[in-house]
Amino acid sequence: MKQDLQTQLVRELVIESLEGLDSFDSFLLAVEKGGYSDELLNNAFRVIHTIKGSSGCLGLASIEHLAHAGENLMAQVRDGKTSVSGELTSVLFRYSDALRAMLRELEEFGEVRSHSDQGLIESLQAAQVNADALEDSAFGFFEPVEVLPVPRVPQDEPPIRTEAVTPQAKESSPASKAASESVIRVDIGQIDKVMNLVGELVLARNQIVQFSNQYSDPALGNAVQRVNLITTELQENVMKTRMQPIESVWSKFPRIVRDLCHELGKDALLQMEGQEVELDRTIIEAIKDPLTHIVRNAVDHGIESAEKRALSGKPAQGTIRLRAYHEGGQVNIEISDDGKGIDPDRLLRKAVQRGLISPEQSQRMSEREIKNLIFLPGFSTADAVTNVSGRGVGMDVVKTNIEKIGGSVEIQSQRGLGTVFRLKIPLTLAIIPALLVTSGGDRYAIPQASLLELVRIEGDQVAQAVEFIHSTPVFRLRGKLLPLVDLNQELELGGEREPGAPIFLVVLQAEGKHFGLMVDAVNDTEEIVVKPLGRELSGLPVYAGATIMGDGHVALILDVLGIARRAGILTDNEHSDSRVTKESTTADETAETASLLLVEVERMRFAIPLSNIARLEEIPAKHVENTPEGRAVRYRGQIMPLIGVASALGLDTNLRDNRPDPFQVVVCREGDRNFGLVIDTIEDIVHTELHARTESGQPGIEANYILQDRVTSLMDVEQLIRQTRTTARKAA
Amino acid sequence: MRKMISVTLRGAGYDVMEASDGMEAAAILKTTVVDLIVSDINMPRMNGIDLTRQVRSGGINKSTPILLLTTESSPEMKNQGREAGATAWIVKPFQPDQLAGVVGQVLSRTKRL
Repeated sequence: MKQDLQTQLVRELVIESLEGLDSFDSFLLAVEKGGYSDELLNNAFRVIHTIKGSSGCLGLASIEHLAHAGENLMAQVRDGKTSVSGELTSVLFRYSDALRAMLRELEEFGEVRSHSDQGLIESLQAAQVNADALEDSAFGFFEPVEVLPVPRVPQDEPPIRTEAVTPQAKESSPASKAASESVIRVDIGQIDKVMNLVGELVLARNQIVQFSNQYSDPALGNAVQRVNLITTELQENVMKTRMQPIESVWSKFPRIVRDLCHELGKDALLQMEGQEVELDRTIIEAIKDPLTHIVRNAVDHGIESAEKRALSGKPAQGTIRLRAYHEGGQVNIEISDDGKGIDPDRLLRKAVQRGLISPEQSQRMSEREIKNLIFLPGFSTADAVTNVSGRGVGMDVVKTNIEKIGGSVEIQSQRGLGTVFRLKIPLTLAIIPALLVTSGGDRYAIPQASLLELVRIEGDQVAQAVEFIHSTPVFRLRGKLLPLVDLNQELELGGEREPGAPIFLVVLQAEGKHFGLMVDAVNDTEEIVVKPLGRELSGLPVYAGATIMGDGHVALILDVLGIARRAGILTDNEHSDSRVTKESTTADETAETASLLLVEVERMRFAIPLSNIARLEEIPAKHVENTPEGRAVRYRGQIMPLIGVASALGLDTNLRDNRPDPFQVVVCREGDRNFGLVIDTIEDIVHTELHARTESGQPGIEANYILQDRVTSLMDVEQLIRQTRTTARKAA
Repeated sequence: MRKMISVTLRGAGYDVMEASDGMEAAAILKTTVVDLIVSDINMPRMNGIDLTRQVRSGGINKSTPILLLTTESSPEMKNQGREAGATAWIVKPFQPDQLAGVVGQVLSRTKRL
């Protein structure tokens, strides 16, 4: 029993102290930035004081010993006898790391195995004003040494220390008590158990609800309704207890950025927005390493040295921004830097050099494909391997880890201006929204996260809808070739489709590649409770789990990635039996052929690449509103800025009054925002080869071509959007 | 004191040569290369600080690590020891196994450098 208590106390000490050290670090970071509040200082002191006190009580001599050395120094800082600055913060950072390392050992092994760093203790003492008054070491080297363990200190130690500890240890308990009154710590396993039970309850509830529909007793109906509501509320609240603010991951980053900057001689400021956004703790765990990797990369590869920044007219201090926000039941995390961006030529060179792609392939790649090269295993642009980066293990792992939890990574980069990584992360893994489909007589659930759209083909179109390229079925979806996978075939469910019957396509996305899954019927969307598969089935890559539906039947959850791999949509490096991808990507992503929307503005012919376009809309003039940033319209719950192509390109706008109502709007997607390009008329969609290119000096126009015997200007949509946004911002 | 040290260190597997004071030690150190010198500060005829200075001034043990035994870890002692060129110090009294640990530390550190 006594042993249990000791173990429990030690665990509490570890948790409390590790948290405390994080706030100790934030004090140090504040010092480095040039200002700290008394509150931060007092807090930092209290942290150290508590660690010393509690570890003393529990007989953890080496932790107490080290903590004590820093406490004296912090006491002097607090009393204004010493000032913290410059070198001292580095010593204190080391001090906090050393304490952390000991605590981790304690957590892992139940005892502290390494010993206090005597050199560190000496440095701490050297920084004190009246070192003699506080002398307490029994052994040391004459000059401070970097890392040197000292023999384990026996329990019966020089009397000075023992005396000093006892009274302080008593003082330390009220400080920790204040927090414990409103917060309790619960074992995570306990919460997982409750979560599981709630999952079962949700399923049982679903069954009861369905069952009760067969009876018309109003009393039963009421009771079921209550059970229903309470279950939902219970589920939400239990989910909430599992939620942690993303800050718990981010709080480590200021320190990481600082250390890296020191190491690399760079200067960067870390801004954070949305720290309070909460995620399930399993997800927090899963994104910790990928995020850290991206942030380290941003400092190492992104931010340039101060001199280089000055040359390109940027402020000497680089900025790294972390932003988290909710969108559509997911959390988006953006990591952006204002560094040098990604140089596509260099990426290509390195990829060819490392034999990841052939030189011929490199000629044909689109910009997006080039940027995605960094996600290839074994890719690195670093010329030399440093301990920061350059080993080429990294971005591919980041991508797989994020995809493992149903998230996605997107990268945007502009040479010279910076890079943005956008992570889409599900809120939780335990209960997810899913689309239910039927195929071969069974129902399957498809996680909404990988779902793009549903297509139903019926009537005359059925016969021509599916075309074959090298015996692989494809479907033309808005000018793009979409490879098709028949779920019945993939799962070997049998059952031929009747000719002429409607075809249901579920358009899915796996690792950035789109494909259509043919199913027999699309049923409904539902929140499902994810259950792991039994051991017999868990080896099957096409299933991600199972769920129990309202009627008590089991539905298997499809693993979209697994299906794509199995069907050969995704090409692993080892598996070059790509039946589909080569044909479909080369067909519309190389420079020679393009799918274009032809439009007319001010009697001039323009072409917009279909890949930029999300939708075509007609918007009545009365829906258009004016904002300080220009005209905009409410569109799918967002504010969509409208960009008049005529005025953006500086065309003659005499004809403005004759503009037809409704407006013809081409909705383009840039990142996570929609933009509407206002044009006069839509003429045609063509899949064509581009010849007779003439370069254009006009911003917003990529080049001029002759198409269907007319001069046609190919719009550079991204540039057009950027340009209008900057002018709008200036105007505002 | 000297007996305790030599017994402890022999017990820990070291070969130990003893000297009764600084002069005697200096004489031995002129002719014998050792891995470590353990010396008290307070000794008759030649104290530990002077011994350290002499060893560091030249000869075959010029860079041998020196561990000083001291009764107090005052800044004065540290200054003197550092100036003389000693490597490390340990406060008396200490437990035998503590000394063995310290000797191990000093030796391993010197090897690493």
